[in-house]
Amino acid sequence: MSKHRISLKVNGRLHELEVEANKTLLRLLREDLGLTGTKCACERGDCGLCTVWLDGKPVKSCLVLAVEADGHEITTIEGLARDGKLTPVQQKFVEHGAVQCGFCTPGMIMVAEAFLRENPNPTEEEVKEALGGVLCRCTGYRQIIDAVLDAAKEMRKAST
Amino acid sequence: MIPKFDYHAPTTIDEAVELLNTLEDARVFAGGTDLFVLMRDRLVRPKNLIDLKQISELQQISFDERNGLRIGAAVTFAEILRSEVVKDRFRVLWDAASVLADPVLRNRATIGGNICNASPAADSAPALLVLDAVVEVAGERPREIPIGEFFTGVKRTALKPGEFVRAVRIPTPPPGSKGRYYKWGRTRGEDLAIVGVAIQVNGEKDVRVALSSVYKTPIRIGAVEKIFKEGGPVEEKIKRAVEAVRSNISPITDVRGSKEYRVHMAGVLTERGLRELLEVK
Ligand SMILES: Cc1cc2nc3c(=O)[nH]c(=O)nc-3n(C[C@H](O)[C@H](O)[C@H](O)COP(=O)(O)OP(=O)(O)OC[C@H]3O[C@@H](n4cnc5c(N)ncnc54)[C@H](O)[C@@H]3O)c2cc1C
Ligand code: FES
Ligand code: FES
Repeated sequence: MSKHRISLKVNGRLHELEVEANKTLLRLLREDLGLTGTKCACERGDCGLCTVWLDGKPVKSCLVLAVEADGHEITTIEGLARDGKLTPVQQKFVEHGAVQCGFCTPGMIMVAEAFLRENPNPTEEEVKEALGGVLCRCTGYRQIIDAVLDAAKEMRKAST
Repeated sequence: MIPKFDYHAPTTIDEAVELLNTLEDARVFAGGTDLFVLMRDRLVRPKNLIDLKQISELQQISFDERNGLRIGAAVTFAEILRSEVVKDRFRVLWDAASVLADPVLRNRATIGGNICNASPAADSAPALLVLDAVVEVAGERPREIPIGEFFTGVKRTALKPGEFVRAVRIPTPPPGSKGRYYKWGRTRGEDLAIVGVAIQVNGEKDVRVALSSVYKTPIRIGAVEKIFKEGGPVEEKIKRAVEAVRSNISPITDVRGSKEYRVHMAGVLTERGLRELLEVK
């Protein structure tokens, strides 16, 4: 199997690594970089729990090869909070009790954060649509949707 | 785990053609959203994978009135959704992109991958069928395949070994024409269609209907076009079109729905769509 030298930025830090062709970005993050905030569940694109940002856009990292991330910038759930300060989405998840077992939370937050940057004033329907690719086995969707809508409000306030 | 393979990332079409024709057991891929799942399940185990995403031409969408729309094979559905011209002039395709998988997956899933995977449920296929798309093929001898001849069976296409899709070209629909895609699924997001119906209408005489998930390939129903070309009251034509759709499909029963349900819903969606686009209450 081919091996590849890659360099990628993860949460602002540059990494130079050698990876085997079949290593997924998900496994690279969790196993080689110790970033276990990104969850591994179905590994077939269904659940969305492995969602990270590739150049700012959410992708399911179980379906991205590490070698495909060469030269790109990755952001994981660990990269959102600045100096210990949670983002509005993270904060609202806490306040709304949008976390039950917590397994879907990193995926939900990575999708919601990216979504709100593109659409700062969403309707509830749009939030549901945006989160459609992330599954919560605890089925606490109501709280999750409320948290995202509330975070949107907070972010709009902050930007005016 | 994805089984072992060698990874190649050519930057030009010529290089990709050469790799595909010289490497042993090689396959091209773009988003990997179909291929990596199949590989993970050990349903396919190519020795060599050729990533098409470094070829910049394959990432481009272009449009002009005369030549129509050209979408590079590695353009993602997220990019298609961002295209104003697709939304305004090729609405049926935009609709299909908007209901394919989910927003996160659409950042990787490509149009080339969707048609080459050739699932009967491929959401972009019915739209491309009613729009008379042409598939541009790269290979030692470049050629073009009309979309109507591209799908040859479940997960089968008219591509020959050593060939891959370079772009999809779509002629500009006449001004005033309208199209929509109606997808019926178990859930609103992230599921394959139980039935999908694409309709393109250019006046009452030029009406095209194509469907996903109701036949071994995505299928355009020629009989519907005949019905609308002939004269007669529109109410009557819609009724006959629904019958034509139901009698020209042969869906299977699977976890998503029974054969009977699919036949029923294919008719329901066809009628709903025709009424909307023809503005018949
Ligand atoms: C959770 C999930 C939900 C999904 N939902 C939907 C859905 O609702 N509707 C739907 O239609 N699909 C759905 N899909 C399937 C898939 O995402 C789409 O078919 C997608 O468009 C495939 O594109 P890709 O670039 O990822 O393909 P890849 O996986 O890269 O390739 C798919 C196949 O096509 C071949 N191929 C790719 N590009 C080319 C090319 N240019 N020339 C020749 N061969 C090529 C590959 O060798 C492979 O066999 C879903 C998949 C997942 C994982
Ligand atoms: S682990 Fe990637 S989508 Fe489920
Ligand atoms: S909180 Fe448990 S899976 Fe969502």
